[in-house]
Amino acid sequence: MKPFDIVIVGGGGAGLYAAMEAMKTNPSLTIAVLSKVYPNRSHTSAAQGGANAALGNKAKDDTVEMHIFDTIKGSDYLADQDAVEVLCGEAPRIIRELDNMGTPWSRMDDNTIAQRPFGGAGRPRCCYCADKTGHTILQTLYEQCLKKGVMFFNEYFALSLSVNGSRMRGLLAMNIKTGRVEAFPAKTVIFATGGYAKMYWNRSSNAAGNTGDGQAIAFRAGIPLKDMEFVQFHPTGLRKSGLLVTEGARGEGGYLVNADGERFMARYAKEKMELGPRDLVARSIETEILEGRGFDSPAGKYIHLDLTHLGADLIRSRLPQIREMSMQFEGVDPIHEPIPVRPTAHYSMGGIDTDNFGRTVMGGVYAAGECGCVSVHGANRLGGNSLLDILVFGRIAGNTAAQEAGKFAPGIIPESEIREKTEELRSYMKPSGHYERYGALREELGQTLAMNVGIFREASLLKKGIEDVSELKERYRHVRVFDTSDVYNTNLIQVLELKNMLDLAESVAAGAYAREESRGSHTRVDFPVRNDDKWHRHTMATLENGKVVLGEKPVTMGRYELQERTY
Amino acid sequence: MTVSTDPHIEEVKKDITFRVFRFNPQIDSKPYFDDYTIKVERGITVLRSLNYIKEHLDSTVSFRAFCQAGICGSCAMRVNGQSKLACTTQVWEVLEKCREPNVIKVEPLRNLPLVKDLIVDMDPLVDKMKNYSNWVESTMSEEEMGKKEFLIPEEEFLRYDKATDCILCASCVSECSILRANSEYVSPAVLLKSYRMNADSRDSIHDLRLAELVKDHGVWDCTHCYRCQETCVKSIPIMDAIHGIREDAIECRGMKDTSGSKHAEAFMSDIEKKGKLVEATLPIRTNGMVWTLRNLLPMAMKMIVKRRTPPPPPLVKPSKGIKVFRSMFREMTKHVREDQKSHKK
Repeated sequence: MKPFDIVIVGGGGAGLYAAMEAMKTNPSLTIAVLSKVYPNRSHTSAAQGGANAALGNKAKDDTVEMHIFDTIKGSDYLADQDAVEVLCGEAPRIIRELDNMGTPWSRMDDNTIAQRPFGGAGRPRCCYCADKTGHTILQTLYEQCLKKGVMFFNEYFALSLSVNGSRMRGLLAMNIKTGRVEAFPAKTVIFATGGYAKMYWNRSSNAAGNTGDGQAIAFRAGIPLKDMEFVQFHPTGLRKSGLLVTEGARGEGGYLVNADGERFMARYAKEKMELGPRDLVARSIETEILEGRGFDSPAGKYIHLDLTHLGADLIRSRLPQIREMSMQFEGVDPIHEPIPVRPTAHYSMGGIDTDNFGRTVMGGVYAAGECGCVSVHGANRLGGNSLLDILVFGRIAGNTAAQEAGKFAPGIIPESEIREKTEELRSYMKPSGHYERYGALREELGQTLAMNVGIFREASLLKKGIEDVSELKERYRHVRVFDTSDVYNTNLIQVLELKNMLDLAESVAAGAYAREESRGSHTRVDFPVRNDDKWHRHTMATLENGKVVLGEKPVTMGRYELQERTY
Repeated sequence: MTVSTDPHIEEVKKDITFRVFRFNPQIDSKPYFDDYTIKVERGITVLRSLNYIKEHLDSTVSFRAFCQAGICGSCAMRVNGQSKLACTTQVWEVLEKCREPNVIKVEPLRNLPLVKDLIVDMDPLVDKMKNYSNWVESTMSEEEMGKKEFLIPEEEFLRYDKATDCILCASCVSECSILRANSEYVSPAVLLKSYRMNADSRDSIHDLRLAELVKDHGVWDCTHCYRCQETCVKSIPIMDAIHGIREDAIECRGMKDTSGSKHAEAFMSDIEKKGKLVEATLPIRTNGMVWTLRNLLPMAMKMIVKRRTPPPPPLVKPSKGIKVFRSMFREMTKHVREDQKSHKK
């Protein structure tokens, strides 16, 4: 194949925005977007709540400055302040840009873009389209990419970076429809593959494919990952499936109620109540359940998210998807009954370490969105900042790659590398005496992570988690793929995804074990206080000779001094 | 606040057989079905059952699934003959529609090329989205973007709010009766998207898009079977969108010279005059004399031989009660016109 100037891995919000921006920056470049699903299926579509921007449509006194402060405070001061300035400063422009391209934002009475309150935000600045914001943004971006004639390689599964010494030559990927390993020689590669929170499997709100493919590929190529131990648990996942009930439900006025019929958030966040930041609300719910004030059922313990007092009209118009999901997956109509919920693994703050322009340490390799870690979310992401992150930094990465593509010589990927990869994939299908089922391993990985590397963490639990993960990795060597066909082999893909999750799980557990403090989403029962002297720094994880090696990187400070974080 | 006991606490399990459509193009000369019987309790979806089968009984069963929450549209398939999302379809809900008790048939979507087992090729749908410009071509230049918002009234937003719910799962495509006969037909999902774009005041290529839609295989080919709307997993009134495009073509843009709109007008005038159709002259009024003679003469001859010709126009007598009907018809037309006017404002 002819070398590409830019290969973008991932067709969600970050990948599509990167593609559009790269085309705009330099129309003469050849750009490919690879995605393991049709781009309109990407997990961006599941984001319900909205995207933050200080437009000042609802609260006239809102400012970018306030958005910056809320984000830094929300991050428990682990975010890099210069990166946050970029994120929040670009926000109004990018939201308007989407509006100008056709995103159907909900509207205020004065016909401007509607905004609503969201957790951890001092002003109502979350722009939304009912409770389908991510879906409509993704549709808009996909439509615009079709219009611009972006070259899509749909249903291609990325396998590895081709690296010679420290020089990146391109990417190897499997065409899912034919099973063939194909080489994508490229001057630059942008990873935009989304998060890795699906490693918590059934205790995760993520799509089945959020397996951290990009992070795992980069990690194995020697690129460091940052702050992997920070995994956000969303306070309100549906009890049975872990599927998400948007924060918008609380933004519109929903109550969290325990089995004693008590609005227990009064104990934990007197002022903000249900609209405290996610880590705090998730911990509060978990505490209620652990202390025996939750409801019990065969599908596990839970508490109630009560919307009944909001009235049928508001629920129908503002939260239609939530109503539909509650009815489909819990058999509960929120107009009449409260929704059973409990915290669910939702978002990965960590990811591929990048600078403010999306660059990684390897020349020609970039990352953006949930896949990358700039970091703008630090130890805890605020609701409404993730859609914003993928848009802003997707665009920046596309722009940087387009400007820098000329610096790198076109790579050539040797045939032998393709052959070796093909052999490697085939080896999963060879019959052997003893074999393991990937389904069981996946399930066990999720269980041990939820139990030992979950909301409340502690040294002995974490140690157990690390041991379990390495044992699962050992067992993985005997996993067998029973589907031997070349065409659309989902069995093989799921096995490869499991490998990605296992590789990353090690870095999550190791980072969590090392960090002896509590900060944002990372709560150590044995170290309950934030320790700025020792731990106000990013964790860096690098793979050296198959072992996770931890390092650190200073946090970029700015206008805001370290403060205690109370709500 | 009452502490309700969980209504789903009853753990009744049933043996359910999933009869799954199988086809691997590398091995099989034709498709076949495999039966998998598993124990299922209330509250389990078809997708979870398929996942269980794949993990525990047969890893070769192939299907797409991603978000598992009814928002990505990956897992559309036919369950007991109806196109749906496997992830939002409860097993217990479809049990009533089993031909054999407790046997659920699972097949791939129709009207799209088969890839393997329950997986079909989505590319033809994407190609059509491109053909019919299913995007907003903004009235604002790229350089201007990001500086200010468009001001859009709630009424406009509401006009396409439902249409933007579409997740392109292709259930409507699978059920469409026209697509079964003509694979080039635009498709319900693409009509819906086209309608949504054309209703958007930010868009600048309304007329171009409409001109494409009224061509062959376009909006006039729909036969109002309403299958798309019945099937839609997001309950979108797709037929309203199709009617919307047609009305737009006739009323607003004066595209009266297309055969589709002429057909509709001939229909209207017949109904108003006689309360029924004058079939003999309908093709002439729709497509003109030359076209009719060239295309329909052989069929007309066959009909004459078989004595199946429609009665000549003078013999088509007005239906009983035509006077009352006419006044109702006029009243209705008046209302529709008023509606359209207020809509345009």
